[in-house]
Amino acid sequence: MPDPRRRRLEIRDVVHVYEGKMATRALDGVSLDVHENEFLAIVGPVGSGKTTLVRIVAGFLTPSRGVVRWDGAPVMGPSPERGYVFQEEAIFPWMTVRDNLAFGLLAQGVEASEREKIVAGLVTLIGLEGYERAYPKELSGGMSKMVEVARVLATDPAILLLDEPFGLLDAQTRSKMQDQLSRLWEEKRKTVILVTHDIEEAIYLADRVVVFAPRPGRVQAEVRVDLPRPRSLETRFSPAFLELKRSIWKEIGRA
Amino acid sequence: MSGPVRRRLWRALLSLGALAVLYGIASQIGSALLPRRIWMVAHYIDDVELLPPYASLIEETVFLIQSGILPRSILVSTGRVLQGLALGAAVGVPLGLSMARAARLECLLDPWVTFFRFTPALALLPLYALWFGLGELSKILLIATAVAVVTLLGAYQGVRDVPRVYLEAALSLGASKGLILRKIVWPAALPQIFASLRIALGLAWVTVVVAELIKATMPSLGYLLALAGAYPRVPTIAVAIATIGLLVLACDTVALGCYAVATRWMKRSPAHA
Amino acid sequence: MRLAEAARSPKARRVWLGLASVVALVAAYTLLSNAYRVIDPSLLPDPIRGVLRPQILPPTQRIFDAFVQLVGAGASPVGGAYVHTGDHIGGLVEQRVTLQGSLLVSTYRVLIGVSVGAPLGILAGLLMGWSRAVDEYVHPIYILCRSIPPLALITYVMLWLGHGTAHVLLPIIYAVFATIVIPTYHGVRDVSDVYVKAARALGARGRLLLSKVVLPAAGPFVLAGLRYALIIAWMTTVGVEMLMADEGIGFLLIGGGMWSSRLEVAGDPAVIVVGIVALALIGYAMDAGVRVAGDRLTQWVKR
Repeated sequence: MPDPRRRRLEIRDVVHVYEGKMATRALDGVSLDVHENEFLAIVGPVGSGKTTLVRIVAGFLTPSRGVVRWDGAPVMGPSPERGYVFQEEAIFPWMTVRDNLAFGLLAQGVEASEREKIVAGLVTLIGLEGYERAYPKELSGGMSKMVEVARVLATDPAILLLDEPFGLLDAQTRSKMQDQLSRLWEEKRKTVILVTHDIEEAIYLADRVVVFAPRPGRVQAEVRVDLPRPRSLETRFSPAFLELKRSIWKEIGRA
Repeated sequence: MSGPVRRRLWRALLSLGALAVLYGIASQIGSALLPRRIWMVAHYIDDVELLPPYASLIEETVFLIQSGILPRSILVSTGRVLQGLALGAAVGVPLGLSMARAARLECLLDPWVTFFRFTPALALLPLYALWFGLGELSKILLIATAVAVVTLLGAYQGVRDVPRVYLEAALSLGASKGLILRKIVWPAALPQIFASLRIALGLAWVTVVVAELIKATMPSLGYLLALAGAYPRVPTIAVAIATIGLLVLACDTVALGCYAVATRWMKRSPAHA
Repeated sequence: MRLAEAARSPKARRVWLGLASVVALVAAYTLLSNAYRVIDPSLLPDPIRGVLRPQILPPTQRIFDAFVQLVGAGASPVGGAYVHTGDHIGGLVEQRVTLQGSLLVSTYRVLIGVSVGAPLGILAGLLMGWSRAVDEYVHPIYILCRSIPPLALITYVMLWLGHGTAHVLLPIIYAVFATIVIPTYHGVRDVSDVYVKAARALGARGRLLLSKVVLPAAGPFVLAGLRYALIIAWMTTVGVEMLMADEGIGFLLIGGGMWSSRLEVAGDPAVIVVGIVALALIGYAMDAGVRVAGDRLTQWVKR
């Protein structure tokens, strides 16, 4: 039984310094909790270390100081239980849509017949019937991003880490993707961390928005989003939405 | 056929045709104007057609084919190139892949790879002749060395250029090292490996021709060239050169085809279309 | 920074490991090549006995001796006309062939090849990349030319030009030319297209467009082509010299003889190794020179 107050991810006093000729302090003592089935968005300008933080949660980076615990155990390296969607195009261009979707299952040694079944379900979920044998070059930017999201969902991860997933898409496609992601989330109910610089996107999708301050990155404010679900185009123009937007802009202005 | 493709084809035919006609005219004028006596190394040689007309070229081709000299030479030279290519790639590609994946190995091998990269493969010919004799083995090993260096660098660079995001994506989907090598690194590096094979193939032909020119133990294209040059018999030289050129072109076309197949998943920029 | 710390940085580790690998291999080779002094060869099984001979694996000190002899050959008291001794190094010393002299001759040939062949190749690549009509007419002919290995032309070129300087240089020039056309062509055709459109929209035409937009944009590709052309030029130079020249590093490697009688004299591996190492070093130095100069010329490229 999912318990919305159950703490699943603990981020404690995380500091990260990129070594090099000019060492940069990307994160300066960040502490955050993420709860069961919570949709958390992190917003902040470029250089506020938000990508660094999710990369640490994913296990791609080891923090210089502090600790990240998942279900009480410290994070050691990447794992399929923490699914990651990249800002860059990370769909494997030499694999067909079907092989991309099946990759995580293949890595986990899932049987071929079972793989086929799950992949077929995912193709329907993202509405790409007929494109199973297509190479990514035949897909639009939005479609291939959706394949990436579905590829991560295939192995049923406990948390979804989305690092500016729609940052490279145009505004219209982005809003369509947001709707699709919102529907997906309501259907699947997962713990999600979304990193974005798009404040509207954060409010539209999240239960809670964390505002990061830049150089060095740290938590500046937290805003709870209590907009009713399912959310729709109307949500974007509701007074509550606009009020949230104003308060977050104000927080950013104070940084 | 679309308009631009047809125009391209027409223009290619036109310019190649013009070249052929020009040569025909030059050979007619040439046989009247050019000296038929030339100074060769130490003495004069009479009756040398510097620009042989088509008739004698065709005659020579027919003779070389009917006598079996040309087919055998082609088989021998091509055989050496392909054996050297296979051997060199079998050494170069795995070595390049592992160098790119293992930092310590890379540091250890780096000075030697640099050394061989700047050593013209042909310079190894006297050493190989000494070690492996003047026969097949030294020629094949010479080609293999040239091919190994080029394909090693291609495979290495290919792996190095695999975007980090693919490796991270595979890791976070739970892929093992073996699966990443088979399904991510290998297909992503394959285009560059094929591109390097194409360069290596061209280099292999240069190497084999020189190796055969210097010391031939069996009828081969380089040997034919050397023999014809010693007489000198210009039509034979011309046929040998043309045969080598056509074989290089054929090999390159096949390599290009392999490259196209290996990269059919790639996006092409409109300029390449 | 302490030494231990320095050794841990990736760059230093690279240098140390590389150095260690070179020293280890040279030491191992020295031991192996001197084994015949310690172990009685008649006790060894046949294939190993064949290999562990100074005529096959010259001891490291003999390679060094050959180096000293070749550097000092110019001052040798013998000198004079060439007497066929049948001995590689003896023959070279008699002919007063020095290592530095041979390198100088070959370097000169490579430089001539590059300085004549490269501008011609760049010009051809530029024209083919710039004008579609030129490309469509000339490209088929270029592909035909490129397919013929420059060294295969040697026998034919000799009939026209005789046995002389031009005959040696022509294949090198031709090789450099054929190599540098393609990178230039791609640089001009594919890369600068966007910039050309932008510059045209700003009103740039003709020579201005060429010198300020097209050439700089294609520059990095031309430089990469030039670096590869240098390698090809050295390859061709060595090939030509081994085949017919009577001086240069290729000649030094092969020790004389004409045409197919070359390589009949059993080579001295010590001389060959000296020649190969010299070639690798000079090839590396020239490449580094072009790289450094090129980086200066194209400072604006993101690296």
